[in-house]
Amino acid sequence: MSADLIDLGSESRQADSFVTFLDQICERFELDHAAYAGTNPVSGAVHGYVNYPEPWKRHYAENGLHRIDPTLLVASRSIAPVDWQRLERTPGFDKTFRDACDFGITDRGLTIPVRGPYGDIGMLSVTRDCSIAEWNKLSAHILPDLQSVAVHVHDTVMRSDALSRALRYPTLSTREREILQWIAAGKSQQDVGDILGISHRTVEVHLRSGREKLYALTTPQAVGRAIMLGLIYPL
Amino acid sequence: MIIVIDALNKDRFGDLLDEMFQLRARVFGDRLGWEVEIVNGREIDQFDRLDPAYVIGLDNEGHVVSCVRALQTTGPHMLSDVFQVLLDGEPPLRSATLWESTRFCVDTQRLCRDGNTMKAVSLATCELMIGSLEYARRSGISDIITVIDPVVNRVLKRSDNAPYDYVGSTKQMGKVPAMAALLDCTEERINRVRAFAGIDHDVFASDESVRALLDARNAAMDTVTAGGVEWMAILSEMEEPELPVLPEDIQDYCRAQIENAPNEAERAAALRLVEVLVRQRIHPAMHQLVS
Repeated sequence: MSADLIDLGSESRQADSFVTFLDQICERFELDHAAYAGTNPVSGAVHGYVNYPEPWKRHYAENGLHRIDPTLLVASRSIAPVDWQRLERTPGFDKTFRDACDFGITDRGLTIPVRGPYGDIGMLSVTRDCSIAEWNKLSAHILPDLQSVAVHVHDTVMRSDALSRALRYPTLSTREREILQWIAAGKSQQDVGDILGISHRTVEVHLRSGREKLYALTTPQAVGRAIMLGLIYPL
Repeated sequence: MIIVIDALNKDRFGDLLDEMFQLRARVFGDRLGWEVEIVNGREIDQFDRLDPAYVIGLDNEGHVVSCVRALQTTGPHMLSDVFQVLLDGEPPLRSATLWESTRFCVDTQRLCRDGNTMKAVSLATCELMIGSLEYARRSGISDIITVIDPVVNRVLKRSDNAPYDYVGSTKQMGKVPAMAALLDCTEERINRVRAFAGIDHDVFASDESVRALLDARNAAMDTVTAGGVEWMAILSEMEEPELPVLPEDIQDYCRAQIENAPNEAERAAALRLVEVLVRQRIHPAMHQLVS
């Protein structure tokens, strides 16, 4: 997946690269705007990146809308993605989006909440101005990939200080390592399943977990990083 | 019928959650003898504080007959925190598209009342499985890891819903063994369970219709529900789960890593971590550990 998304895990983590990543998310998933917000209780930092137009960003900040916006405050407590249709009757929704409308910002969107291991919480929000039918179809289609992308952004942002990076050193299981080792040896997922005597689905679920623990979006990135960290041997 | 209750709508369904916590106490405490804590007839643990999602099955009168709890594997969950022994010391799977499901149970007592047979139990079980698989799938989730006992494992297999694999191994937890099983949320699996149970309708009921059913029932019985005051009190008295890491914890951790390192390489790695922490001025006082 996502070969056309930049690999945040290896980027020098600057605000610019996060906003560029949001732009790429929009392009790849046919969306208008994307925003990420997260809090890191280890470093005490609050992070936010958006690719909304400047006038809306200014208006949002000047009016303190982050204090009432239910797409942030309410959605963060869900474990599932929250379609903003579910928030329509929540306090703050009307006020946030009445203003948004004047700036050409749609209320057609969803928020993906992310929970990390240290009480850290992040949210990736995306919007697209289109009919409800079109939106429902699009969001159902992109959700699985968008879930992975949301966790990727969150993990990367949360690793932007040295302590958090040390705490989040990848801990792979024996099975995750042996699967990556065989992939590094050039075996296909099917082959790896046959060699280890496990189902294709088991290979897939461990590989996905291994990729995400290594902060990689693709398997080749994960293999590269695992070699770099000495978790598997180069062949 | 199935309803999903999470942090966004739990204020409206406090009464249902209260019934659910009582069902869990009867099943996991009384019937299965798991080592769970029960306060005032409710089984509530630290993970219920973390705003999980509950998939709950209701009978026609709106009584809770089945339930299961879902958490993301990217954050704190049972396999990472209390069921680690099931994983043979290995770190748990962590993925954006993998949810953990725990506390799966069905109220066989209520379902077998009034001359009903085990058929009713099987139907309620399948409806809950369909509801939780479809809810996960709709949320972009591809797989579920579920902590179950051998009885539920057999029920899954018999309902054409067999786990495709297991992680770790079966271990004794209290009086019963437990295991971690993997289920995919594919349409194929959902269709298999639907075909087995003969369920082809939409299993989900809207928040509005469930609320109306409960209100009508209460009005007819002329009762006022306490709205789940009981479980809210229990939850609020529980200790905060330990999440944030404090500098003293890190120092203790590093000291233990250095002192208990089984070999030179591990010891060197532990010392490197301390160096990073000192060099980055995150924890300058720790230089005493390396000197």
